[in-house]
Amino acid sequence: MTSTLGRVVNFPGRTTASRAGAAMSRAAGDLSASVTRLADEQAGIVDDWGRDPGLVRTVIRASRLRWDVTVGGDQLLPRRKGALIVVNARTLALAPVFAAFALSDIVDRPVRFVGRPDTAPVGAFMRRIGGLLDHPDEVAGALAAGQLVIMGAEHNERLRKVGRVDHALVGSALAAGVQVFPAATSSSPIGRGARLEIGAASRSPRRRRGPLGELELADQVARDIERQLAEMGDIRTGTPLDWLPLSGLGGA
Amino acid sequence: MGGKRVFVSGVGGELGTTIAGLLEDESWVGELSGIDVDPPRRRLHRTVFHRIHPDEHDRIVETVAEFNPHVLVHVGVWEPDARAAPKAAARLTDQAATSILGAAAECSALEHVVVRSGIEIYGRGRGALTRPSESASIAPTSDWGRTVAAIERTAAKVGERVGVTVGAVRLAPVLGPHVPSPLGRLLRQPGVPFSVLADPPFAVIEDRDAARAIVAAARVGLAGPVNVVAPGAITALQAARRGRRIPVPLVGPDWRVARALSYLFGAPIPDHVSEVLHRGRLADSGRMRDLLGITPDHGTIDVIDRLYNWPSIVHQPARVQVA
Repeated sequence: MTSTLGRVVNFPGRTTASRAGAAMSRAAGDLSASVTRLADEQAGIVDDWGRDPGLVRTVIRASRLRWDVTVGGDQLLPRRKGALIVVNARTLALAPVFAAFALSDIVDRPVRFVGRPDTAPVGAFMRRIGGLLDHPDEVAGALAAGQLVIMGAEHNERLRKVGRVDHALVGSALAAGVQVFPAATSSSPIGRGARLEIGAASRSPRRRRGPLGELELADQVARDIERQLAEMGDIRTGTPLDWLPLSGLGGA
Repeated sequence: MGGKRVFVSGVGGELGTTIAGLLEDESWVGELSGIDVDPPRRRLHRTVFHRIHPDEHDRIVETVAEFNPHVLVHVGVWEPDARAAPKAAARLTDQAATSILGAAAECSALEHVVVRSGIEIYGRGRGALTRPSESASIAPTSDWGRTVAAIERTAAKVGERVGVTVGAVRLAPVLGPHVPSPLGRLLRQPGVPFSVLADPPFAVIEDRDAARAIVAAARVGLAGPVNVVAPGAITALQAARRGRRIPVPLVGPDWRVARALSYLFGAPIPDHVSEVLHRGRLADSGRMRDLLGITPDHGTIDVIDRLYNWPSIVHQPARVQVA
């Protein structure tokens, strides 16, 4: 005989589909603690940082209309652990953004970029496509959770020159115990061709116990990127534009 | 470690009852006692219940002092618009925290205090971290956030003065089939409002996972804060779609109207829930496994799906009319 309570309150049994959904949800939670593959990401939900995989896929497809990025050196990145990748940047070039999209596609992992504003609707949109706040604790949290994060150096309009690298953000990588990789980017304001060349992990010239370590590492990263830019050579369009020193070509 | 006396404040609430039920199964727990203004939601076999209102300071002190607990679990907090209006909730929470933590400070056997807190404590001001960890600065921007910050402060003072460890379990918004939650009520309405310009992500925790975390904090003697958040995140629009609710896009002054209408429909939107819908609510629970030795059984998406699958009460007429 069934109890009266059981008849008054009807608890429907969980369907196979809902059990499968719960298992997928748990699996997604476990994956987020290690490595999430793009193919595993469910559409219609956001991840632990508010990144929307469905929207990211759409935006990456759309970004190919603007950038055709060639990526090199991605094999140097850790397969499972987090890493901070520092790229050179120029005004309006959106180097961290196109680098994050291109790298994400290549390594089949979500790649986040630093530098979203905290105002709606731009900040909200950038969070959906993988943007993080420009805050050391925010970056440290993502790196500690095994995420790949791209940050830009300060803008520098001179070709082959790299602006200041924020040592506080580099310090967050040291705090999280992950490596810092220099990466040179180049793109053109008038063409689709772009490059992202990742170098070997930068190392501080001296072992320091205090905050000097992050300052020296930040300077070293900037030097490594400049060296990579020099190795990449100039971009040639074959037009008189190449003769102009401020043509906007190269360097990103 | 067997035979510890554990006192649970707020044992009449859904969370408190679940905690007491779990503590009854713990081998290290000896005597178990609880206090609340309402009786427990389910039958508790070992727990001695005292029905006392938070403003009856003398009775509270007398009861707690007589029991002389080794461990105090303080979950006697009122979330605004969950079971009480915001002003009443703040008053009751303050009275309970002052009386119970104050009474515990007088107990010679006291070794450890666990308080229920919330991730609202971090606030969601401009530039606030997307996923604050326990080391993030405390800058509450809602009434509920300020309330839990005050509880943590009071507990920390008691801990310092008496020389006992204090653990704060910072819970994400707690949802469960019987948990009175303003966020849960709002999401279950036929129409769910969301911010067109932001629609930020938030995370939740299921009530049983929250109770397991608090029990684990009492077991291990947690000495500091820990975030307890289910993995994953969701936005209000995504939640509405999963629950087959009508998403209601709102911007600017529309919210004032939506708040008034939602209040009339029985799902008031307090400021901390409004903050969830405008600024989101996430936290980094990476230290949970290390500090408590457990992880949530249910992810945020699972909890939201279950929120929409929880049944409504089905009224059935009596088979035999007796009156």
